[in-house]
Amino acid sequence: MPTIEVDYEDLLSLIGRHIPIDELRDKAVMYAKAEVDAIEGTMLKLDIKDANRPDLWSAEGVAREIAGRYGKPGLPRYSVARPSLEVMVDPKVRKVRPYTVCAVVRGLAISGHVLSQMIQLQEKVAETFGKKRREVAIGVYDFSKIKGPIRYTTVKPDGIRFVPLEFTEALTPRQILQQHPKGKEYRHLLDGCAEYPIFIDAAGEVLSMPPIINSNHTGKVTAETREVFIECSGFSMRFLVPALNVLVAALADRGGRIEGVRVVYPKGHGAGTMVTPDMGPKKIVARLDDINKILGLRLAPAQAVRMLEQARYSAKAKGSAIEALYPAYRQDIMHWRDVAEDAIISYGYENVEPVPPKLATTGSESKAEIFCRKVADAMAGMGLQEVLSYMLTSRDGLFRKMNAREEQAVEIENCMSANWSVFRTWLLPGLMEFLAGNKHVEYPQKVFEIGAAILPDQSQETGARDARKLAVAVSNTAVGYEDIASILTA
Amino acid sequence: MMYRLTEEGRRYMEHGLPEANLAKMLDKPMPIEDARHKTENFSIALAWAKKRGWVKLDAGRLVLVKKPGQVPEQEGLKMVSEGKKPSSQVLETLMKRRLVEEEREDAAKKAQRLVGREISGLTPELIKTGLWKQARLRPYNVSAVGRRIFPGKRQPYNQFLDMVRYKLVSMGFKEMTGPTIELEFWNFDALFQAQNHPSRDWTQTYSLKCPKHGRLPGQKLVSQVKAAHENGWKTGSTGWGYEWDSQKAARLVPRAHDTAISPRYLSGHSGRIEIPGKYFSLVRCFRPDVIDATHGVEFNQLGGFVIDESLNLGDLLGLLKEFIQEITGFSQVRFKPDYFPFTEPSIEVSAKHPEMGWMELAGAGIFREELTMPLGIEQPVIAWGFGIDRLAMMRLNISDIRELFSRNLEWLRNSRIMLK
Repeated sequence: MPTIEVDYEDLLSLIGRHIPIDELRDKAVMYAKAEVDAIEGTMLKLDIKDANRPDLWSAEGVAREIAGRYGKPGLPRYSVARPSLEVMVDPKVRKVRPYTVCAVVRGLAISGHVLSQMIQLQEKVAETFGKKRREVAIGVYDFSKIKGPIRYTTVKPDGIRFVPLEFTEALTPRQILQQHPKGKEYRHLLDGCAEYPIFIDAAGEVLSMPPIINSNHTGKVTAETREVFIECSGFSMRFLVPALNVLVAALADRGGRIEGVRVVYPKGHGAGTMVTPDMGPKKIVARLDDINKILGLRLAPAQAVRMLEQARYSAKAKGSAIEALYPAYRQDIMHWRDVAEDAIISYGYENVEPVPPKLATTGSESKAEIFCRKVADAMAGMGLQEVLSYMLTSRDGLFRKMNAREEQAVEIENCMSANWSVFRTWLLPGLMEFLAGNKHVEYPQKVFEIGAAILPDQSQETGARDARKLAVAVSNTAVGYEDIASILTA
Repeated sequence: MMYRLTEEGRRYMEHGLPEANLAKMLDKPMPIEDARHKTENFSIALAWAKKRGWVKLDAGRLVLVKKPGQVPEQEGLKMVSEGKKPSSQVLETLMKRRLVEEEREDAAKKAQRLVGREISGLTPELIKTGLWKQARLRPYNVSAVGRRIFPGKRQPYNQFLDMVRYKLVSMGFKEMTGPTIELEFWNFDALFQAQNHPSRDWTQTYSLKCPKHGRLPGQKLVSQVKAAHENGWKTGSTGWGYEWDSQKAARLVPRAHDTAISPRYLSGHSGRIEIPGKYFSLVRCFRPDVIDATHGVEFNQLGGFVIDESLNLGDLLGLLKEFIQEITGFSQVRFKPDYFPFTEPSIEVSAKHPEMGWMELAGAGIFREELTMPLGIEQPVIAWGFGIDRLAMMRLNISDIRELFSRNLEWLRNSRIMLK
């Protein structure tokens, strides 16, 4: 659920219409599946609930979705000028970080908001969609400082020197991994690599070492920058192509002109020569009956078309089908249900009549629950107070503190605290810990707990089984065998 | 306790203890047969005389060894006859010798003693004799507070959860159960959650040291789920477009959400479901987090699904509205677009709390076909999930989520029983 910051005025200028802040907060942002978490001055903190829509993670994307319902419906069209730049991919990157897709964007006027949104979008896409830069690492460069063609190749850890972003001294890749903050944060992604990937231009200028860091010379974008070179690198076109399209669309929405880049792959690399980005719309065909049936509506073809156009599709009714074209920055549309959801968001959930289903079914509780409740009632009937403890505990609490022999238990690998690292195998330790914390409270203290313990069990498909257990403890200045035996007997 | 002389005790009081009388006769050693003829209760007399060390047997003759002094038992008999109580040691001896017995006061006597005074309660004797009619009873001070006792009780959070269960059952839902330690297959893959989804990352899901891997269900089901992930299979979807790893699916995790149980039932793995059917689960779930007043690593979730050929979005919204009304009492609800990997469309459900305003209570949606079809389901399935702990906290008036598992006996003792 990425959280982004957008400026209210900037957002309105992208939408192309004034929307009062209350209406924006209570209604309009819903179209971008967003919620306003906080407002600080003119800055809105938005929680974008869709983790699969990288196109929504910037002001430009949010504005696009809102604009569709506020007077600017229809498919946004992005033209891509013929490439003037080539990126040559060296076979050596295949084992390290095999793929890249690239673009050039010209004619930018990079005001404060344009720059901050671009940086935010790049960060969010690489972190969330790009799985913390593993699947997608992104570099944006000042294109005026670059001389094409560009080579995407590898270097030895000490094989080159360049000044990384925000530093003043030229370092080798090895040194960058050790000394630069981004080097330290992301070097695990290059574990086991004998050589590291770099982008280098025709003048021998290093552009960057993905997925770690740009160079300071070319890799810095400022308010003066007029044209940018963008590359996304990673392991699968499935992630790289949408990431690039999202970035490029945002810049185009800001007035930039997209220019293609010819990416040349060697034979046997798993990809052929391609011109990226391909901003052509994609097509999906859905049956109107399917959409109406699942939504419980009776949309006429023209209505459905209108709902989709508000969601930034271009749609056409063809017989019983709806042919829909959607923009290249959307990678989430897999099935006609995705189209149905976009339509219902335009239609508005508040306009759907909520009618509970009339299905005759009989309810029942699980037998285990019923049994446990009866046991618990019987214990309460004997004057015992029920206690509820966590199932997670520590080895110490479960065995050593109980002076019990250590036994097998289900253990968590990535626990943050040893106190919650092991699943209880019996309930008595929880009661003992409870009594230990209540020494100041009036005696006698008579407590019980009933609940699940987890026992390792190879015969189960999950390697463990839930065992319901009952534990009872009676504590007083004078207690004897009779006190507990009488409860057991009962 | 009152005491009185027995028959034997009275005789000894008047004529002297037999051992004392025997001793008196022995100013000269006497043949034992002669002594026997001359003494009443000879065996008792001889036994006690010997016990006290007064006499001994010497060549068939009884000899006085020590002259008896004052015998406290004799004095004791006299005291009892006068209604006085001798020392407890003497009394014990006299009672052992059955010379003295407890006076069993008859009911009438007992009751009589109580009439005339102001008493605080009736006694069996007063009732039996009918004298209760004459008794003067002190009125109860009903403003006085009773002595504190601690009744046995169910834990309040458990009471709340039971009440929620009961409400769901009364709406026609059947309870589902599933294992706490779960396969990633059921928790994620069978829900069409991609293997590279961030929520499966080690920072958002627990993984286990041991056991590490479990056993996947049948080959057919697994291969259908695999195909759906990779290319959409027969569902008409493009799928996620990556290579699905069965080893990853076989890894074990502590159940991360209640939704993990639903595919077990939809697929028939945990038994057949009815169609139309309504199913729910209310179970403990686990997720790594920083523990504070509103977050825990261990929490309960309430969720489930409804399945029927006729179901659509309107039914889902109607069902959610009904849930909120039943479980929280709030009647104003709001639905907003949301996103879950396993539903499309997806909804966020909020309700209006009279004081706290709008609060997000549940997530819901219609299960994707990429999820239902590989499990063998053809009908629409509407699904929903509540963060039930938040509702519990509101109901129990607590602000720190850790108090649901309270370690405070005083608080538990003071908790009130839930009436509805």
